[in-house]
Amino acid sequence: MNEGKQESAAAARPVTIYDPTLRDGHHAVRHQLNRDQLRRYAAAADAARIPVVEVGHGNGLGASSLQVGRAALTDDEMLSTVREQLTHSKMGAFLLPGWGTIHDLKEAINHGVDVVRVGAHCTESDTMERYLDFLRISDIEAQGVLVMSHMTTPERLAEECRQMVGFGASAVGIMDSAGHYLPEDVSERIAAIAGAVDVPVIFHGHNNLGMSVANSIAAVRAGATIIDSCARGFGAGAGNTQLEVLVPVLERYGYSTDVDLYALLDAADLAERELMPKPPTIDSVSIVSGLAGVFSGFKARVFDIANELQVDPRDIFFELGRRQAVAGQEDLIIDVALDLSKRTAS
Amino acid sequence: MADQNVVEDLDAEGSRLKVAVLGSGLIGLDLLAKIERSKFLDCQLVVGRDENGRGLRKAASLGYQTSAGGATSLGADGQAFDIVFDATNAMSHVEHHQHLEALGALVIDLTPSRIGHMIAPTVNGADALVHRNVSLISCGGQTAIPILHALTRVYSPSYIEVVTTAASLSVGRASRLNLDEYISTTQAAVRTFTGASDVKVMLNISPAQPPITFRVAISMIGDDFDVDVIRKHVTTVAEEVRTFATGFDIAACSVIDGKAFVAVEVKASGDLIPHYSGNLDIINSAAIYVAEQYAAGRAPAERP
Repeated sequence: MNEGKQESAAAARPVTIYDPTLRDGHHAVRHQLNRDQLRRYAAAADAARIPVVEVGHGNGLGASSLQVGRAALTDDEMLSTVREQLTHSKMGAFLLPGWGTIHDLKEAINHGVDVVRVGAHCTESDTMERYLDFLRISDIEAQGVLVMSHMTTPERLAEECRQMVGFGASAVGIMDSAGHYLPEDVSERIAAIAGAVDVPVIFHGHNNLGMSVANSIAAVRAGATIIDSCARGFGAGAGNTQLEVLVPVLERYGYSTDVDLYALLDAADLAERELMPKPPTIDSVSIVSGLAGVFSGFKARVFDIANELQVDPRDIFFELGRRQAVAGQEDLIIDVALDLSKRTAS
Repeated sequence: MADQNVVEDLDAEGSRLKVAVLGSGLIGLDLLAKIERSKFLDCQLVVGRDENGRGLRKAASLGYQTSAGGATSLGADGQAFDIVFDATNAMSHVEHHQHLEALGALVIDLTPSRIGHMIAPTVNGADALVHRNVSLISCGGQTAIPILHALTRVYSPSYIEVVTTAASLSVGRASRLNLDEYISTTQAAVRTFTGASDVKVMLNISPAQPPITFRVAISMIGDDFDVDVIRKHVTTVAEEVRTFATGFDIAACSVIDGKAFVAVEVKASGDLIPHYSGNLDIINSAAIYVAEQYAAGRAPAERP
């Protein structure tokens, strides 16, 4: 009974859809999207009135590298291409301190970025201070997100989020970068964060264990109001929360998104046709990656090296999980694979 | 043998150079422990900004004279130093380096300010004798440059990439506020020491528990890399670096798909800092090496 009441009280609450298809999706195609692909999807997302369209290398501004993959386009090319297509939607960009710099932020601002997400590993939000401060002074909407959030406690996440608000973030939250969470994990963490801050709370899911839509709903019910999701789930590993599924599911739960359903379905169809060789699936290695708590974006690199050194990619993922590898530590994949191949040989 | 050591120690005592340490964060405190072990250096003052801060209180509890007056208070009371180590942060070094240089001491900058002459001990350590302000670049720079300097004498890579990963607990407040300076200064140093123009540097801070050992991954694009030649060179370099930073080890070495890859891990050699903090150890060991070279190179008559 009580639950029914809570549900109807929540019904008035709007949820903001944040769409990183053209950023996180880059992980699925080795950061090789071209201008035409960006242009077409951005126009379709804009037509569907998706509030924010994020674009960039999968690891954000300044990240194109051997370590995580070199992008086909420069940050400047990506930002200027998408900017031209957006009239309704805001343009978002992502920045990980230590990878991107203030110089990259200035360039993004020159290209008309509206929202910048600054990210850091779950316990490292104090690396964001300068960047959030710079964005605040530059009058650009700045959000703070904690990557690989399953690696610490709900209390610590809440404390880090409170700190990001202190640095000037206008929204804060967590990414399930490894697709490791179950809905109860998400509820507990989002509730802790929502109880600690008075700004909108963000959740970004991955689908390694088939839980991303359920996890996103759990996040909203626990107090999150900004949810990331990608067309056809186009994203790292088993993909992100599937945008065109999430929106109608949210509506059925009584939340409002202001996204146009038919235009959204058209954008998703276009994404499948234009952006990806095939939609992400929960393949066997992605399941292992989610179980092991390893960053989904490692997948392509793990396959390459596993193939080169003739080792089982699942073994690589479990060993990376044991070593607590975090996003950005792709250099560990070779070490782990070399160790495994020696072990097999001896 | 024992007697002889005592004589040497006494002899060294009398001629030890007077040094001051600016900054009492993770780097400053580890530096104190390393200075304590040196036969050539005597720390006479630790300077911070907050009298009640944990760092200065720790230094005072270890028996050091401390000052909370900041860098510009140095020398105000006529106290003279031979060497000033700057372990504050890049922005502060920019503000106070002229003051420090005017004191007449050798300034050894551990911040990534990129003001002083850049030094990597095994490559150009003796340069400290002819420059008044020397820069130790960064922890990643101190780890990667000896390797890259050796390899670029054999190969001419068209692109060099350096990715550093440090444990969260080993990265202090100043370093966290200096990530951009870390990147730009390390990139500039790699260009200077290798001659390569296309260089990219990145940094991870790992939340893993237990903490991971400091690690630097180096990748190069070029022609004709031979993994055996690379292994031979980096093994030699590691031996050289271990003469002053004992925890320096090659973790991986490979050539895959035409790209050379070398990973280095550095463990801290004890003192006040945990073993995973190789980032603090490598730059502080370099600082001590440079200071001792300077001490040894100064003519006795010049000594106070």
